[in-house]
Amino acid sequence: MAKFVTIGERLSTTAPAVNKAFTERDPEPILKRAKQQLDAGATYLDVNIGPAENDGPELMKWAVELLQGNFDNVPLALDTSNVAAIEAGISVYNRSKGKPIVNSADAAGRIGYVDVAAANDAIVIALCNGEGIAKDNDERMMYMQTLMERGMEQGMDVENDMWFDPLFLVIKGMQDKQMEVLDFIKMISDMGMKSTGGLSNNSNGMPKHIRPIMDSAMVAMAMMQGLTSAIVNPNDLRLMETIKSCDIIKNNYLYADSYLEI
Amino acid sequence: MPFNQKPQKFNAKINAVTIGSGDKTVTIGGENSFPFYSFDAPTENTPKIGVEISDLGLDEFSEGVKAYYEGATTMAEIAQKAAAIEGADFVALILDGGDPNGANKSVEELIEVVKEVAGAIDCPLVVEGCKNVEKDAELLPKVAEVLQGRNALLLSEKEENYKAIGAAAGLAYNQIVGAESAVDINLAKQLNVVTTQLGVDAKKIVMNIGSAAAGYGYEYVVSTMDRIKGAALGQNDNMLQMPIITPVSAETWAVKEATASEADMPEWGSADERGIDMEVMTAAADLAAGSDAVILRHPESVKTISKLIKALA
Repeated sequence: MAKFVTIGERLSTTAPAVNKAFTERDPEPILKRAKQQLDAGATYLDVNIGPAENDGPELMKWAVELLQGNFDNVPLALDTSNVAAIEAGISVYNRSKGKPIVNSADAAGRIGYVDVAAANDAIVIALCNGEGIAKDNDERMMYMQTLMERGMEQGMDVENDMWFDPLFLVIKGMQDKQMEVLDFIKMISDMGMKSTGGLSNNSNGMPKHIRPIMDSAMVAMAMMQGLTSAIVNPNDLRLMETIKSCDIIKNNYLYADSYLEI
Repeated sequence: MPFNQKPQKFNAKINAVTIGSGDKTVTIGGENSFPFYSFDAPTENTPKIGVEISDLGLDEFSEGVKAYYEGATTMAEIAQKAAAIEGADFVALILDGGDPNGANKSVEELIEVVKEVAGAIDCPLVVEGCKNVEKDAELLPKVAEVLQGRNALLLSEKEENYKAIGAAAGLAYNQIVGAESAVDINLAKQLNVVTTQLGVDAKKIVMNIGSAAAGYGYEYVVSTMDRIKGAALGQNDNMLQMPIITPVSAETWAVKEATASEADMPEWGSADERGIDMEVMTAAADLAAGSDAVILRHPESVKTISKLIKALA
């Protein structure tokens, strides 16, 4: 099995400093956060420019060129509801370190994102969700099938280029649903498919010092079920140490005494 | 149904490391397939063969080896004859005499030998210490210093002395660092990690992951090499993508199958032939398991393994 793929989530317009930097095209804060994430071991970086309705394509191009130019063509996940911006980002994207990821499609209004990924030979994160949260795993599976069919119709390599997102749910409020999400990850894995997701959803609303603990427990259980990737904060040391340790236990990566440092 | 060949493709490859300088260099590694799987991918660089010589001269060598070197009295002459063997790609000078439990030659004395050999030949050079970790920590940095510009491979740093040897060879004098572990895959990786943490370029490291003569716990050597290549290519583990060099002769010429005299073991036949057999068998198995270079002693073994490589690669 391949090593777990971490997608760093810290370049997002939901962070006011990043939003400001994107708006003003100020490279410094962007590069600083990117470097922190890469130094901590992130494989991919997510670039969330928000809806970017006015200047999406131009902004995404700027961000892709800035990050790949400064960090040896780091592979990126392009995260926006603006399709034109994703296409513009891919048009200047260098693939030498990995295909671009389109973040993300779902089985309802955003199913067209599968087509965008297929047309551009990109990976797509496929959220197993329609309108509202799936009520159970039967429904999740139905959405997954819809997405897979769409991918196949479009000629995608579904086993490698569609990463299915089970949608991690918040524990505070949906505690009874957690095992179901984990079971669904196992189903994705048993089908030979890849998976990813916004891991830290689970600990939303918990005290700051609790979140790394809960996220680490969740990632370990999810990796046991076959999760192959997650969108995470790579600067959460406890979480990254857990992921690296799970990679060792799963024999995804050969052990050496310094495994936490590499 | 017609046979439809599907090559096994890896998105990873072994580092290509060039030893030597000027016109005469050899490059080992660079492959992105398993050993001799030329049906999966074209062979980047064929495995290479080094000829072992020792600062102790020829005394310890078998009759057949001595016969080849007849007339060579100085280390310079021995080195030239070694380099001239058919199929030889480089010369490997072993500084056996440095061993404190053996001849215990001084560092200065050994450095003179290194200079003499380096001055006599222009082919790529590998220099191996005396295997005593304290002595090597003192000796190999000096070797690195006097060989500046030769881009030599120095064998070996170990867990106990990697800081001194790795820093001198890999950083101060820009040679190639040999990282030695004893048939322990986790330690092999660990040594590469800590060596790169010193600042040594990962592409200037060659691994000696340990060796044994065929029949002497050899299956551990094979499984270790196999797993290293598997992780390097299959898991794209860049801390295991260093090419592997295996000093074969030092092991095979030390076991009873090679050392017992014909007088003691008449039913075993010629001691020289037995030694060659052990050397050839072990080297062939090393190459099939993943060694990118082997070090041999007998001219006949060098010739035979060179033919094998030409036929398979």
